[in-house]
Amino acid sequence: MMLTIKNLQKTFFRINEQKQKETFYADKDISFTAHDGEILGILGPNGAGKTTLLRMIAGILEPTGGSIDFDGVTYQEDEILIKKQIAYLSGNTKIYQSLSTYELLTMCCDMYDVPKEVASKRIDEIVKTLDMQLFLHSKIEKLSTGQMQRVNIARCLVHDPMYYILDEATSGLDIISSQIILDFIKKEKARGKTILYSTHYMEEAENICDHVIMMNKGCVIKEGTPSQIKKSTKTTNLRDAFFCLIGGSHDA
Amino acid sequence: MHNKIGQILKKEMREMIRDKKSLSMMLIVPLMIPLLVFGMSALFEAQMNRPIEDYNKIGFNYQPSDVEKKMMDEIGIDPVYEKVSSLKKKYEEQAIDLYVTKDGHTYTIHGTSNETTTLAASLVESYLSTYKEYLQQHYLEAHEVAPQEVIQILQIEMDVSEEENFFASYIVNYAFLFIIMAITISATYPATDTTAGEKERGTLETLLTFPMKSRDIIIGKFVSVSFSSMVTGLLSLLLVVLSLFFAGDMFKIYQEVDLMLSPVSFGFAVLVIISYSFLISGLCIAVASRSTSFKEAQSTLTPLTFLSFFPGMIAFMMELKTTVWYALIPFLNYTLLFTDITNGTVNYLHLLLMILSTIVVIVVVFLLLIKQYKSEKILFSK
Repeated sequence: MMLTIKNLQKTFFRINEQKQKETFYADKDISFTAHDGEILGILGPNGAGKTTLLRMIAGILEPTGGSIDFDGVTYQEDEILIKKQIAYLSGNTKIYQSLSTYELLTMCCDMYDVPKEVASKRIDEIVKTLDMQLFLHSKIEKLSTGQMQRVNIARCLVHDPMYYILDEATSGLDIISSQIILDFIKKEKARGKTILYSTHYMEEAENICDHVIMMNKGCVIKEGTPSQIKKSTKTTNLRDAFFCLIGGSHDA
Repeated sequence: MHNKIGQILKKEMREMIRDKKSLSMMLIVPLMIPLLVFGMSALFEAQMNRPIEDYNKIGFNYQPSDVEKKMMDEIGIDPVYEKVSSLKKKYEEQAIDLYVTKDGHTYTIHGTSNETTTLAASLVESYLSTYKEYLQQHYLEAHEVAPQEVIQILQIEMDVSEEENFFASYIVNYAFLFIIMAITISATYPATDTTAGEKERGTLETLLTFPMKSRDIIIGKFVSVSFSSMVTGLLSLLLVVLSLFFAGDMFKIYQEVDLMLSPVSFGFAVLVIISYSFLISGLCIAVASRSTSFKEAQSTLTPLTFLSFFPGMIAFMMELKTTVWYALIPFLNYTLLFTDITNGTVNYLHLLLMILSTIVVIVVVFLLLIKQYKSEKILFSK
């Protein structure tokens, strides 16, 4: 299984200071490949184009140009098949508060066409793995942030996807809730899943990513393993490497 | 495809039923209908049965003859005899309900148009007409002409069915117009909640990652909102029928008026309700999904809410009748067809044209919505 992104771009319209409509590139000519069992980090400051890129890969936004290829299949060819293989989780993703955890998980199984007998077994396994027995039948609106994060992870697991698209998934979370996500990422990598992981926490990425693409102002400015990037920029961490790549300025 | 629509529908219905506001909009708004019917019936009945003492104080600037006084007494006029200036002052102080001045053979009724003056004027006209007839009779007798031969020189017989009871017709029309309002109100809340509300709560992004076509999401949402408005519409219809049934026995204004809908008319009313529910649900979803927040969507939907019942009110005021063209105009056609249904004068062509016009609007709205859900506009709205 392989995810191939080629010359992907996305433009939006905005009104400039002269109150004229102008086109700007949220993402410009992005190309990379993600392999099985790989955690691909997408790093960059706010406004670098990470969220737009991941939304396009998740099929939420339509690209203006370029292609997204999931193991030889594009969205134009079979949108449903691709979406069945993806789990998308972002820091902004919210879940249905009026449902209980169990109702949400069964709803997700239905949405992903997981057969009833498989769904029941899988939900049991996920509930045990993420230790959710205590609040399985509680309404989501009554859960703590950490419990809610576990439910969010659980909903990503129900259809056993091949690709995880995680956009700033640890953003704003406390250290315990962040660790739940990071543990989950490591486990899924060990199961051979492909994980796209965007963050602006460079240290976090350095610890868990196999491969990294650095973005700034909608463009890829560097690609490689964390050690390759550090070596080529002659720095000791990805944070310094990033500043080195954008010209030494801290004004990204 | 059907499976996916069913899943979205199940999700939407579950959310709607668990949301107290959506549920109350769906079920409580129709309960206003019995209040409207009974309230208006009581008001009109009170007007019709107003005691004569409320409007029989009439001023005169002349001393009438004994014959005139006797006639006034028989009709129920309570006369006040004063000078014009004094009568004018008394009228302004509401001490009298009207005043009459006489100049030779000309009698002038003075007053400002209002409900009491209208009733008082009617009383005075009745008195003057009786007095005029009396004078004519005496004149003819003095000239040795048989009054009956002159007065009844023409025999006019009426073979025209009695004009429709104005009050009953007014209440029935407004009760049916209220069904349109109730459906609109019922569609507005769930449409806002399922689009802008979902966006505001952050669950729209989750929904868009599920393996389903935009079309299925829209149809699922559309059917759930339509269901809510249909429940309101049908409940309202039932309450209109029941309210009129009971009001018919309770109030004299409905005497000799057939308030009951035939089964066929009831079926037509259901058809109008279903068509309107689909139309308003589609429009509400289309408008609300362009908003980023619940509050913004509600503000955006306000003009649509007014638009839904203004044409109907104008149609009543102008006494418009359904035509081929009117049957094609959304909003106006539903109200006019409701009037036809209550009058028992439904034209099948008009009904068909109303359905066709609804389908055309819904198809256009759907195409726009699908386009919107495919683009980033659905997430960012700008």
